[in-house]
Amino acid sequence: MRDPRFEFAPKDGRATETIAAPTYSYWRTVAEQFFNKKGMPALIAVVASVALAAFLQPLMSGYDPRVVPHINDPSMRFLGISRQFPFGTDDVGNSVWDVVWAGTRTSLVIGFLVTGINSLLGILVGAFWGFSKKMDAVMLEVYNVVNSVPDILLITVLMYLLGAGFWQLVFAMCVTGWMSGAYFIRTQVMMIRDREYNLVSRTLGTPLYKMVTRNVLPYLVSVITTIIAGQIPAAISMEVMLSFLGIGLSVETASLGRMISKYSSYFSGYPHLFWAPVSMLAIVTVSLYLMGQAIADASDPKKHR
Amino acid sequence: MKSYLIMRLLRSFISLTLVMSIVFSLIYTAIPKDRVFYTDTNIEKLQKRPDDLTNYKHLQWARLGFTEYKTLAEFCRESGALDLSACNDSGSDDARLFFEKYLSLGFTVEAFPQSGTLFAYREIPNYRRILNFWGNLFQVENVFAKGSGLHFGRDFNGNLALIGRGTRHKYLIYANGAFPFIHQNLVRISLGQSYPTYRGQDVVQVISGRQGRKVVQQARLGNGEVVETALDLHSCRYNENPSLQLLGMFPDGFSDCSPMRRGPSMLAISFILGFGSLVLSYGIGLPLGVLMASHQGKWIDRLGQAYIIVMMSVPSLAYVVLIRYLGGRYGGLPTMFALYGSQDIRSFMLPTLSLAIGSVAGRMMWMRRYMVDQSSQDYVRFARATGLGEGRIFSRHIFRNAIGPIAHGLPAAVIFTLSGALITESVYGIPGMGKLLPDSIAVYNNTMVIGITFFFTVLSILSTLLGDMLLAILDPRIALYDKHKAGKRRKKP
Repeated sequence: MRDPRFEFAPKDGRATETIAAPTYSYWRTVAEQFFNKKGMPALIAVVASVALAAFLQPLMSGYDPRVVPHINDPSMRFLGISRQFPFGTDDVGNSVWDVVWAGTRTSLVIGFLVTGINSLLGILVGAFWGFSKKMDAVMLEVYNVVNSVPDILLITVLMYLLGAGFWQLVFAMCVTGWMSGAYFIRTQVMMIRDREYNLVSRTLGTPLYKMVTRNVLPYLVSVITTIIAGQIPAAISMEVMLSFLGIGLSVETASLGRMISKYSSYFSGYPHLFWAPVSMLAIVTVSLYLMGQAIADASDPKKHR
Repeated sequence: MKSYLIMRLLRSFISLTLVMSIVFSLIYTAIPKDRVFYTDTNIEKLQKRPDDLTNYKHLQWARLGFTEYKTLAEFCRESGALDLSACNDSGSDDARLFFEKYLSLGFTVEAFPQSGTLFAYREIPNYRRILNFWGNLFQVENVFAKGSGLHFGRDFNGNLALIGRGTRHKYLIYANGAFPFIHQNLVRISLGQSYPTYRGQDVVQVISGRQGRKVVQQARLGNGEVVETALDLHSCRYNENPSLQLLGMFPDGFSDCSPMRRGPSMLAISFILGFGSLVLSYGIGLPLGVLMASHQGKWIDRLGQAYIIVMMSVPSLAYVVLIRYLGGRYGGLPTMFALYGSQDIRSFMLPTLSLAIGSVAGRMMWMRRYMVDQSSQDYVRFARATGLGEGRIFSRHIFRNAIGPIAHGLPAAVIFTLSGALITESVYGIPGMGKLLPDSIAVYNNTMVIGITFFFTVLSILSTLLGDMLLAILDPRIALYDKHKAGKRRKKP
């Protein structure tokens, strides 16, 4: 049978050795899904530029909340938006632009640091907590008790004991902050620890730490990223609320929370003072939240085709 | 069911005790006790009289449960010394007796800086403080004691009342026009005396007592005189050392009365606010969540999601201030609570809205989540395969199953309105529960902090219990306890 429309292709020895199905790598697929999401490049650009500016701008402006050079110069107070002062000046003559960037840096660092510590502790403790029934009986009561002590009370007392300051605040926010994450992970672990594949693994004599790190935690990646995505904005908001109450950072650290609470009293006269930190905060938290959700979506293997 | 409830209450009681132990040790051991005088103006006044200052401080500490305190003068009075001033002298035999006795009891004995006379004090251990707290929690009138003089009589308005004579309160059961019309003073809950803010008042009184302007009413006093008074004569307690004037007005000795006020209590204000916003947020949030779920992926869903994301990630302080500004500027509504006070419904409008606008987002999110989760279940596919209409599947099958978890959170949501809203109350200057805890912490009002923590813990235990029970009632598949096991156990002798 000969047909002039067809011709023989040369035999490729190497091609016959490879598997036709595309190779699958979990993390590469996660990255692909994440970066190919609609609007993601713009979001990444926003987050990156805000983060970069927040770390570079305070170095250039040299803003220090303890130094108030224009405090005795009434002509510098409450200036409008101009080229020299993009967000105007506040009640003591500081450039709001400088204050906002310094505050953003603090908020970002606190958000990531607190979330990092809490997530790490929460995941580790939660994973073992879910496995061990003995630990569960104890930890459940501990969790119930600690959950009943008001956060504000605990943080205030700790801040009093340690003194106000950046690291003290981070410590106070982490002391019990990891517990809710751990509890969440524990519930998730309990749901999958008795699945067949874990049963098999256990009968084959896999040690506990290997069960946790190899069998269970990879299964929970998307759940974990979902909580982490929500925790960063939550930690930033917590700092804002604590500073609003006056129990957060000491005066030497710039803080968006303190700015918002201070400038909210000038809201009717100089609304831009209030809007500057609030919109910066909104940009940071909303874009971080969206980015976190996108990572969480991308890390769900059920959505990988 | 009964044994399950008892076990559960027992466990709650244990956790409550543990929470209180933590709070007690945080407050009494972690914070130096000098801090309680931080805002006390009396300290300033007593600066020039070091003896009185020392005495005042130790008296307050003893009253707050930090220490036990005894002066040589008291010791002399009790031992019946004839010459008080000789006994008071630090060189006297009585002083040596005092010194030896209290030193052996583990007290620290010191001398007043000016007069040199002695006093002794001892730290109360934490476990005793906790025991004292529990012991004083219920204050029961001792009506069976001799001379309690229990009888039915007429109160100052001529209403029937159960009146005691040797009791702490005069009116033990009485009626008046306020809800629930018949009141009692037989058993009262006591969480201790507030200090330094709301000085001299009971914590319970601060939280649940009416606030605001005093009300003047007519009443017949004990001496037969009819007067206009701002005192709530039903609240009168026995006064141990009354002034002559008080004794003239109240010859029976029950002259420790609190004033009658018009406005709602802190609890009531927080509840009105919280309940209003709860109704708003459920009323708006649940239908919107259902709408989003039924139009999944359409513009209405996207719009709702955008709203949820913004509300979840922007701190509440920002939108509370914004609503306050907009409402004041364009709605003509009061931006401070005190402007019209608690009697005017307009005072509650903006705060309620501020609270609701954030919580609506949460309701929308969860309602949508549960509905979407349910709609991919097998029973839905089955219902669809049997030819059921989409509308019916949605309202009868998906909605019924999705509402369960929402119902579970409902009792907690209602009960936690009592704990108040910190940011909203601060921004509008509302005298409610939310601000009370941070304010009390700031001035080292220990009794108040402990009382409020106790109250909040009880609330949280109660709300989880009620939520579980409601869930079990709504969804017959869920059993809180093993019915089978319980039945078996009962049959065995």
